[in-house]
Amino acid sequence: MTQATEVLLPTSADEAVALFGDGSGVTIVAGGTIVLPEITHGRIAPTRALMLSGAGLDTLDAGGSTVTIGAALPVARLAELAQDVEALAQCALGVADYEIRRQGTVGGNVCAGAGRDAPRGDLQGPLLALDASARSIGPDGETTEPVADFLGHRAGRLLLDLSFEKPAASAFAAIEYPHTHEYTVLAVTGVRTAGGEVRLAATGLADHGTRLPSAEAAAGDPDAAGAAAVADVKLGDDALASAWYRERTLPVLVRRVLSKLEEAR
Amino acid sequence: MKAVGARLPRYDGIEHVTGRTTYVDDVRVPGMLWVKALRSPVHSAAMSGLDTTKAEAMPGVHAVVTHADVPLLEYGHLSALGIPADEPLLAKDEVRYKGQPIALVAAEDEETALAAVDAITVDFEERTPLLDVRRAFDDDAPTVHQWGNWYTHFEGEMDRRQIRKGSIDDAFEQADVIVQGVYRPAAIEHVPLETQVALVVPEANGRLTIYSCTQALYFSMGVVAAHLQVPLNKLKVVGGTVGGGFGGKVDTATETMCALLAQKSGRPVKWRWTREEEFLCSSTRAPWHMEIADAVTKDGWILGRKMLTLHDSGAYARFSPYGLTKHSFHHTGAYTIPNLSFDGFVVFTNRVPTTAMRGFGVTSVSFATETHMSRIADVLGLDPYEVRLKNANRVGDTSPNRIVYTDPSTVSVVKALAGGMDVELATEYAAMTRDPREGDLLPAHLVGQLGNPEDH
Amino acid sequence: MKLTVNGRPREIEGAPLTTLLHVLREELGVTSPKAGCEQGGCGACTVLVDGEPQRACLTPVGAIDGSEVTTVEGLGAPESLSALQQAFTHHYAAQCGFCTSGMLMAAEAYIARGGTDDREAIQEALAGHVCRCTGYVKIIDAVAAAARGDAFDLTVTAAGTAMTNLGGVS
Repeated sequence: MTQATEVLLPTSADEAVALFGDGSGVTIVAGGTIVLPEITHGRIAPTRALMLSGAGLDTLDAGGSTVTIGAALPVARLAELAQDVEALAQCALGVADYEIRRQGTVGGNVCAGAGRDAPRGDLQGPLLALDASARSIGPDGETTEPVADFLGHRAGRLLLDLSFEKPAASAFAAIEYPHTHEYTVLAVTGVRTAGGEVRLAATGLADHGTRLPSAEAAAGDPDAAGAAAVADVKLGDDALASAWYRERTLPVLVRRVLSKLEEAR
Repeated sequence: MKAVGARLPRYDGIEHVTGRTTYVDDVRVPGMLWVKALRSPVHSAAMSGLDTTKAEAMPGVHAVVTHADVPLLEYGHLSALGIPADEPLLAKDEVRYKGQPIALVAAEDEETALAAVDAITVDFEERTPLLDVRRAFDDDAPTVHQWGNWYTHFEGEMDRRQIRKGSIDDAFEQADVIVQGVYRPAAIEHVPLETQVALVVPEANGRLTIYSCTQALYFSMGVVAAHLQVPLNKLKVVGGTVGGGFGGKVDTATETMCALLAQKSGRPVKWRWTREEEFLCSSTRAPWHMEIADAVTKDGWILGRKMLTLHDSGAYARFSPYGLTKHSFHHTGAYTIPNLSFDGFVVFTNRVPTTAMRGFGVTSVSFATETHMSRIADVLGLDPYEVRLKNANRVGDTSPNRIVYTDPSTVSVVKALAGGMDVELATEYAAMTRDPREGDLLPAHLVGQLGNPEDH
Repeated sequence: MKLTVNGRPREIEGAPLTTLLHVLREELGVTSPKAGCEQGGCGACTVLVDGEPQRACLTPVGAIDGSEVTTVEGLGAPESLSALQQAFTHHYAAQCGFCTSGMLMAAEAYIARGGTDDREAIQEALAGHVCRCTGYVKIIDAVAAAARGDAFDLTVTAAGTAMTNLGGVS
């Protein structure tokens, strides 16, 4: 396992892409917060491990109207976007704890597979609501696509960066179980674009986060939007909460987010 | 008394803050092997075809042990208290709980040990598991233990802990209302920061040195000696540094198996449980099912209590009969109830065997009795503090097993609680003390029920 | 690979994917970081890497080649306890002690980045650390005391430790 693994340590993004190749047989190690326990407990035995710590993929560019986040950016650094995208910064602050946020990466969070016992990928919600573009490498080479499409085939790809236009307003509401570090049971992010469009997305669902198109269609009426949202999601029972509970709290979170967006006019 | 009121340093305080406290996992011995276990993946099954040959042949593997390697396979943890043995150290021809250890491997490193465990083959014929105590009494429940579905050896021959006092039938007849409640606290895992761990070193002189995280060093020493069939002077146990126990490190869960591996391999062996093993396979505080029916008067006197307790012991008895016994003495809580009918059963299920956890046996009954007192107040439309103060233990009152109270603190504690919650008690209640009952505080049903404090 | 551990340069022989926790404990004999869960969830393995608190159980050594690692052993020895270590001792912030190494490193970093005696801020900084013995209150007391710069009269000799009452501290 760890003895037999070939470890690749690229020192640039280009080198990382070259070493990744078409991805077959490669295990990506970014912050390591998700992958290392799998190795330690014998659940995966990587043959080739691509370690991204020195590859320069931890950039953050928020100078203009477009924000570009390098996939290896530590989650903690999303705090720097508090002015531009409050919801993304707020969501990031709810991920795990001080140490994990500094070690775990945005890419690792977005690309996480469905958790065994509890949902993963909190950051998927804000990025979906922002309709971010995901630039990644896969068997077919480099692709840039909406993050919603990327999530559908994220396994086996090397995410390079995520880009989105700064919104006019954003809002985030979540149900968390207080703990030494919090677990997000269910969360909704809302974004109002400069052009006035309202987008909503939820995480804490089975598999990965999704947009809430039925709720978006009724965004002018928060009660109707909340009720409509349930049709957009696939809910499950897990260690944190039941589908029953999530079905009843999802409309509440949608209403809260829409009301916060309204207040931000 | 020089210590009272003085500010004394912890004897281990400086070690803790300088990283020098030596827990079992910090002990370094040259040539140490790592241990991993094959555990039952199912709740209940007949087991056959256990084959460790491939594992034993793997490079880097120095020993594999199964039930066949244990000189005395079944040893009762509390045989000194009359609780007979029922649990094999390692599974033999069946498994009775998910996570039950079947075989152990000692190898050069963790990865090799894990690979060797994967190379052990065994067949299971799954059986319908029993996972809820209440179900154990159903006619169609599977039988999960050689003694039936509940412990049958109290005082050698009884299948329950039984307390009878006064006349419960009279109490029920005289009652204005019967207040019922069912209480089912769930299992609680100790979650010590230090997981179960043991390191055993075979010495040149034939003795074994056992580094253990046990909370019960001398006790564990006896358990190891019994399973290994060696005299106590063959064992040297180094213990006392525990990274959190809370009752969960009294089961001698690792020491014996490591001793067997150390003997077989001739090398020091260490077994450190993963956090998953700690959560899924280590013993927990038991789930309980308690049913209370109280005969009460309109003005809040509790004439009698009928109670049924089902304690979920999991697959084996371990310390459960002892825990239930303690529970039974406390089934009236901090209150005086003269007519009692208590039956408590130690019930077997296909869950991980349960064990002690802070307040073993009694936290469950405290939870149930206190909640029930509030329920009584609720049903009768009375103040919950007043119901408690009326029935509170006083000097001369007697416990379920007729111990005479000489120094009960119920009254002062309830009054302090009221004070802390800014609740103003009615004058009559605010004036109550724990003095022996008389007048209004000695109703007809308590006359003749009290004891003489001098006689204690 | 090379690491500077508590001020000493060390050569690392483990493979790059080996965890820092394993390297510290098994290769270098630095046993203060503990294997509480090996999943990053308990905080007991926390060490400082270039001054930042990090889970050693989640850190592949290959990712930190050339870094400075600080553990509890590097904070202070019995005869020269740091202010934070004294605060923990004085306030009984450790019972079984298993979580203590992680708590100390997180608290050390918190104070180094200007953390104050604000209890909520301390809780937020230590949120990734589980303690099953103390109930956390005394740990927060100790970190607050150290952040404030409280002085303690703590003498450690071969004969033992002497502590005195400090007026106003309970």
